[in-house]
Amino acid sequence: MSALLVLAVTAPLLGLVPLFLLGPRTGERAALAMLAVNLAVTAGIAEQVAQGGRAPGYFVGGFAPPLGVGLRADGFSAAMMLMAALVLLLTGLFAMTGPGDMTRKVKARGSAGRPATFFILLLSLACALNLAFLAQDLFTLYVALELLTFAAVPLVCLEGKAGQLSAALTYLLFALFGSVLYLLGVVLVYGLFGTLDIAHLAGLLAQGTGGATAAAALALMSAGLMAKAALFPLHLWLPPAHSGAPPAASAVLSAVVIKAPLFLLVRLWSDLAPLPLTQVAGPIFAVCGAAAIVFCGVVALAQERLKLLIAYSTAAQIGYLCLMFPLAASDDGQWSALAWTGGTLHLVSHALSKAAMFLAAGLIAETMGHDRLSGLSGVGRLAPVSVAAFGLGGLSLMGLPPSGGFVAKVMLLTSALQQGSWWIATVVLAGGLLAGGYVLRVVVIALQHPDAGLPEARECRWRALIALALAFGAMLVGFMPLAPLPFLDIGRPLSWEGLLP
Amino acid sequence: MTGALLFGLAGAALVGCGVYGLLTASGALGRILGFNVLGGGVFLIFGAVARRGAAAGFSADPVPQALVITGIVVAFCATALAVALLVRLSTMEARAAPADAGEKET
Amino acid sequence: MTGDALPPPLDLSGLAPAMPVLSETLMVVAIALPLALAFGALVPAVRRVLPHLLVFVPLPALIAALAVPRGLSVLVAPDPFRFTLALDAPGALLLGGAALLWMTASAYAMAYLRKDPARPAFIVWWLLTMAGSFAVFLVADVASFYLAYALVSFSAYGLAAHDDTVEARRAGALYLALTVLGEALLIAAFVMLASGPADANPQIRDAVALLPASPWKTPILLLILLGFTLKMGLFPLHVWMPLAHSVAPVPGSAALSGIVVKAGVIGLLRFLPEGVPLPGWGALLCGAGLFTAYYGVAVGLTQRHPKRALAYSTVSQMGVVAAVIGAGIMNGTAGTFTIAAFYAANHMLLKGAMFLMVGVAMAASPRRALAAAAVAALLGLSLAGLPLSGGAMAKYAIKLIVPDGGAGVLLTLSAAGSTLLMARYALLVARSGTENQKTEGKEMQGRPPRGLVLPALALAVLALFAPFALFAEVTGVPVSAAFTAAALVKGFWPVGLGLGVAALLAWKGPRVPEVPAGDILHAAGFLSATGRTIMEGTVAADAVLRRWPVAALALLGVAVSLAATLTFAAMP
Repeated sequence: MSALLVLAVTAPLLGLVPLFLLGPRTGERAALAMLAVNLAVTAGIAEQVAQGGRAPGYFVGGFAPPLGVGLRADGFSAAMMLMAALVLLLTGLFAMTGPGDMTRKVKARGSAGRPATFFILLLSLACALNLAFLAQDLFTLYVALELLTFAAVPLVCLEGKAGQLSAALTYLLFALFGSVLYLLGVVLVYGLFGTLDIAHLAGLLAQGTGGATAAAALALMSAGLMAKAALFPLHLWLPPAHSGAPPAASAVLSAVVIKAPLFLLVRLWSDLAPLPLTQVAGPIFAVCGAAAIVFCGVVALAQERLKLLIAYSTAAQIGYLCLMFPLAASDDGQWSALAWTGGTLHLVSHALSKAAMFLAAGLIAETMGHDRLSGLSGVGRLAPVSVAAFGLGGLSLMGLPPSGGFVAKVMLLTSALQQGSWWIATVVLAGGLLAGGYVLRVVVIALQHPDAGLPEARECRWRALIALALAFGAMLVGFMPLAPLPFLDIGRPLSWEGLLP
Repeated sequence: MTGALLFGLAGAALVGCGVYGLLTASGALGRILGFNVLGGGVFLIFGAVARRGAAAGFSADPVPQALVITGIVVAFCATALAVALLVRLSTMEARAAPADAGEKET
Repeated sequence: MTGDALPPPLDLSGLAPAMPVLSETLMVVAIALPLALAFGALVPAVRRVLPHLLVFVPLPALIAALAVPRGLSVLVAPDPFRFTLALDAPGALLLGGAALLWMTASAYAMAYLRKDPARPAFIVWWLLTMAGSFAVFLVADVASFYLAYALVSFSAYGLAAHDDTVEARRAGALYLALTVLGEALLIAAFVMLASGPADANPQIRDAVALLPASPWKTPILLLILLGFTLKMGLFPLHVWMPLAHSVAPVPGSAALSGIVVKAGVIGLLRFLPEGVPLPGWGALLCGAGLFTAYYGVAVGLTQRHPKRALAYSTVSQMGVVAAVIGAGIMNGTAGTFTIAAFYAANHMLLKGAMFLMVGVAMAASPRRALAAAAVAALLGLSLAGLPLSGGAMAKYAIKLIVPDGGAGVLLTLSAAGSTLLMARYALLVARSGTENQKTEGKEMQGRPPRGLVLPALALAVLALFAPFALFAEVTGVPVSAAFTAAALVKGFWPVGLGLGVAALLAWKGPRVPEVPAGDILHAAGFLSATGRTIMEGTVAADAVLRRWPVAALALLGVAVSLAATLTFAAMP
């Protein structure tokens, strides 16, 4: 039993109390401190996982599953939690009221002039994300997903503009449609097996019971998660929502919020569903992912606004994780493990680099007063650090060394080629080409001589350095050795063995 | 026809209506209603599932009831959030429309 | 005669006990110094001294090329990264040549860009490209090679696009697009190649040793040839080169045409197996190289600007290098790679010096430009292989690989074409002097700045004589062999033929319109139209997909199709 797990879920909520009781400035500092605590707690959990070599667990109220609610952190969850906590803390720092913010009239502040609201949402996100990464039964996961959506939707419309409100509404409604489908799947599962605990269900499903109803349940749950992750062709809400939000909000939305449903999709198909079923479903996800990479990549190339370009790039990059499904579900242990590591590393490095890029784009837009690509020439002189952060983050998207994206791409490519999936390898390469196109387009424009006179503004340096730090984080992931990471396999397959009395 | 089956069929019908509403409704309000009908159908099915536990010999399976109540609360919150967004959006549009109908922000 | 047996010219065996440490330090510093200074440019104090320091930055690389024992490999980062540096004979030749060119071109660049407000940015790109070029000649493991190759390729964009004119932007965009394409081709090849050995990041040498037995031999070789010949500018992948090389500032062009294209050469040398006959592939590469050698001359002759003529000459010369490598791997001839590198290094120095002379002539009065043109002509004749020049040694060396068969004759004849193109180049240089030098002081009128002349002349002298010093060691044949009457006659007739044709053309040549730089690219305009149509179609499709009823239906469709697939395929 590890109390850290339950602390990971509750600590962010404790941070809300000072935000309501104290003034906005003090509350903001307290919220940041709590995000730092959150990072420390997740680091502690990761340390426990690495040290113990097995997944720590916690039973809420001492009731063991299948009746009680159990939390459990395997290597995969721990990695995701650590990534999310890091991004949340850094975007929190970015959005912090800084020196000079009170005197300067800065419209595009990271938190859009509503620090208290922003930090309430950020802390709620932390709680919901940790719960989604730790929970082990399908209904608690449903609750975690809904919490996540409720915290994410207001982030989209923080400034209360009409465009943001309609984007938020579309996001909310589509996410709700998805979650009802997910819930329907959960109901069917319960009706079949009388339990919702993933470890128990995995055992029951592996025996081949369930038939068509189980298939329908899995399909409904997956479709719901895909809607929430904005996987092609269900990406209608993502571009307006992610591009309209204030920079810090966009960064969190694109970097971590959509990762939770993706994580659950992986959990569903690698931990819950039996291998033969995953081998059937995997290619469908891979096709969706490939379509996302190519289609949304081309649309990103055509964008005229920087933030929309980044948002479409997110819609494209989600696809890489889905390419992992058929590769990781093969019978060939060595190459499936490599694909598994590659997919996870892609998730992590994309989170870091995309957060860096959205923050940098926000600073660029703040400096220039707009984010139309055609008018951004020469911005490299006004906002050199932001442009550098954007470029270094983009390195990871393009899959060039040294970056996490490169390592992930090499692993996925190796696994695809070794398993004879030439089409997946081709898509991975094509995705790199498209990413190169849209990232370099921005960088080239930023490095050009200014076409017109540049405004008198300068980038906010310390905020730009935070974006740069995130981009460096994505680069550091690139120093991972090109081999399966044993850490990610700790605690798999799921079981409560050793934890149950 | 047992009660559970009846409830199950009614739930399925509600799910069908809700999905139809979500697909065809042209405005946000219609979609919110569709979502609620769909959600109601799912909860009804869950109730029927709980009743089937009773058929297996328990007096009633309490777990789905707890889950349904949680689900209803969540759905209620979602509806409230969606309606709040919609109200805000329509007041803004009403205010913006007479001022400058041409320059609509998207 | 293998590359590893070749002793380093600078004998430091007296320092034997300290040699491994010294070598390791030299190789690491050669790469790390320019890289560190590029990042150091963030600090204003460093930025101020950089222009004075720039000449000395390539020094460690030069010493490494001269003194580090061949074949010594150094594991810089231990397992599991296995970042390894090593120096073999081809690497040393190219590294040494590159270091010399970087040094002279650095001095030249600082004078050339003296009044350019964007000089600090140029220096950063310059240093990054330099670091990448040294790294690409030094690294020995697959992953680091990819990194170094990406560094030199992408940084070179900064040199090409420095002037930021409309043409420079267009050329830069094309260059970047093709570079990204090349990177994609190569990563696919490397991943397949690296799956042979047990390591995730094997030494290039180990991976290539397993290549002939690899089940993916054909795709690997195809991708490697495409990826690296793209960088070398083999037809039809040369379209970016005349554009990119002619829009850069003069020292930038020298670095691009002299050094950056050699990243493609070293790539071929590293990733093709030496000593294993690959008849089909060798013939393919040889044929493509020969065609390019003539094609570059033909288009280059129509050019009206000396820099563009030189860029096409680079296309042609890289064709020659490719033909030599192709002929070598066709028969599995040992020693091919060292000689190909020797020829490439010779081209590196000559082409660098020739570009620098263009800048000198452009800063000179028409009368003084004639003097520059004389030096340029001398360099050109050396490139074409006029006997008694350094270039003749390189030409002699490649004849050892390509026997006097069909390919050999064609290769020899291409020297005549080269002579012709070089005559054209010298003529264009002679015409590029300008009368009004109003910006300079009165006494300076028409006299190019010393900061340009001295580095250019130094490099010219080095380029003309360095091949003599290396010839015997590279080929194992005494230098005197190239001075026998037979060899002299054999070396002279193509040059004489070329000069004769040049004189004929000058006397009564047809007026040929200038082929626009990037030649066949203009014929491929429909590609960009197709691309635009695809993009517009995708955006329109996206707008449809993102409408609510469509997306909601898609969500249902996904759920239903998943359920159906699972039910019918998996459930018995």
